[in-house]
Amino acid sequence: MHNLSTVWRFEVSRTVKKKSFWITALSLPVILAAIFGIIYFSNKTTNDQSATVQNTDFSVAITDQSGLINPAYMSSLNAERVEDTDKQAAIERVKSGKLDAYFYYPANISSASVEIYAQDVGLFDNSRYQAAAYALIDRSVAASVSTQQAAVMKDKLIYSAITYKDGQPYDNVKQLIAPGIFLFLFYLLISFFGNQMLTSTTEEKENRVIEMILTTIEARTLIIGKILSLVTLAAVQILVVLLPVVAIYLSFGSQLSMPNIDITNIPLDGVRIAIGATIFVLSFLFFTGMLVAIGAASPTAKEASGFFGVVMALIFGPLYAVTIFVSSPESPIVRFLTFFPLTAPIPLMLRNAVGNLTLPEAMIGIAILAISAALSLSIAIRLFRFGALEYSRRLSVKEIFARKS
Amino acid sequence: MSDAIISIKNFTMKFGDTTVIDNLSFDVRRGETFGLLGSNGSGKTTTIRTLLGINRATSGDLLINDKPYRVDGGVRLGYLPEERGLYKKEKVIDIMVYFGKLKGLNASRARSWSLAFLDRVSLQDKANTRLDKLSGGQQQKIQLGITIMNKPELLILDEPTKGFDPVNRRLLMNIVEMHQKSGTTVIFVTHQMEEVERLCDRIILLKDGGSRAYGTIQAVKKQFNGMSLDDIFLRVYGDGSEARA
Repeated sequence: MHNLSTVWRFEVSRTVKKKSFWITALSLPVILAAIFGIIYFSNKTTNDQSATVQNTDFSVAITDQSGLINPAYMSSLNAERVEDTDKQAAIERVKSGKLDAYFYYPANISSASVEIYAQDVGLFDNSRYQAAAYALIDRSVAASVSTQQAAVMKDKLIYSAITYKDGQPYDNVKQLIAPGIFLFLFYLLISFFGNQMLTSTTEEKENRVIEMILTTIEARTLIIGKILSLVTLAAVQILVVLLPVVAIYLSFGSQLSMPNIDITNIPLDGVRIAIGATIFVLSFLFFTGMLVAIGAASPTAKEASGFFGVVMALIFGPLYAVTIFVSSPESPIVRFLTFFPLTAPIPLMLRNAVGNLTLPEAMIGIAILAISAALSLSIAIRLFRFGALEYSRRLSVKEIFARKS
Repeated sequence: MSDAIISIKNFTMKFGDTTVIDNLSFDVRRGETFGLLGSNGSGKTTTIRTLLGINRATSGDLLINDKPYRVDGGVRLGYLPEERGLYKKEKVIDIMVYFGKLKGLNASRARSWSLAFLDRVSLQDKANTRLDKLSGGQQQKIQLGITIMNKPELLILDEPTKGFDPVNRRLLMNIVEMHQKSGTTVIFVTHQMEEVERLCDRIILLKDGGSRAYGTIQAVKKQFNGMSLDDIFLRVYGDGSEARA
């Protein structure tokens, strides 16, 4: 690995000096802000329009200290009324699984939270509890005030929800943050640097610099140096995204009514984080090897880029089926996409994040990715050595494996 | 250490069913200037690429200092390939320093050497210019500088004057002569007989992957009844009727 640091430094410094890198890097936070803005307003609109009790096929007990809940609506939910003095007992029944949900409406709902205690039923389905709690009071109040008054009251309630799994408080959203970071990083790395990986070796070929390089450093050193430089550039990109967000949050969080995030409360499941990190590293190496191999086997960047769309579709195609990975982890299609090397990274990282990837499944997935990564990197280095001298044509698979190493 | 810096024995190279080099053997002595001659497609570049480990031989031994070439094998190599180019979007000085460091120079030594070289070839004001803003001839000078910046003990120039104008050709010849005087072994891969006559001690003529003549220029001329190298070249490559030497 002699000269590895020289290659790494050269590749990083020449990229960060380019305007195009910074235009791309700085545009990402803007794009992300726009996307999050659209999602926020979309969700807000959806919530505003939700006025009916949904998914009420669960057992529920209610304490109404506010006196606002209409008994008729409680009956329609088959809800059990619980006195304030029995609040703790009701929570214990939820914890032990005897009761699906317990809603506590405080005396002063304009300042205190509506408390929700419920069985965990998954990331998406947990929202039914808050929907039901909201719909119950919304309909009760709406029946006793004018439409205008009801409109003014909308969205003024504060909710606090606790769900339980195995008798312990379990927050699905918080649980997926730490292992889910790897999914985000993988998406970011491949999206923004995939094309650079693809063209990083065609550049040497198109510029006819390859012979001087191959007689000066090992092909393996060059490839690894390029990969390390891409990782460094990705870290720069991540900082460019995160630093403005953190700065805005710390400086203007209160003025912008941003949620109060306490990162010390984010659960850290060591096993899931370790699995996520391993899958992330192996997936990155696997696809880097693939993209470099395609670049090395193609005579020009233009020709190589034709394959880029195919690779991207394979990697990120499973994202279109995100709900099935969360709701039906046992289905054959989920299992196939989880263990087929070219599609495995997203299902593995996603399922690990939401907590439905079993340990044996994780081990099998990691083994598949490790073998795939080793193979793709080995083929990439081989192709770089042999394909690099093919200035005007693409190497065939037969030729790649027929040549002596 | 033997007298030969390069030793090629029974070298055969096949690409698929095509035999490009057929049982070729020759030596290059330490400190000499050696001409590897042949027409297009005779196997010159394949021989050099295989010697330098870019291609792998089908059979035979190709050794530098008695062992196969490795980039970290301790040989100070200067190689100007036939297919040449550099990173086009980078500044001249950045490219030169990068290659200098890859060749074992520290950053400050690579920079100072590069600036001195640019001054010598009248490109001192181009150090911070992007390579693709230079003319073809200027780019060739940069590539030549990169080739010799590690004071090579073995300098291999594959078709070095290809595309050179007379000024750059003279510059190249001066550099080769300077290295000859300092004891560098030089291999000239060419079909320009004028350069061969002027610079080379010994030569080998390749045709169809085999040797047609091998030895000192005088010995080769004698073998062809005192003909000039130009005439020998025409005779060997003109009609293909000569027997192998």
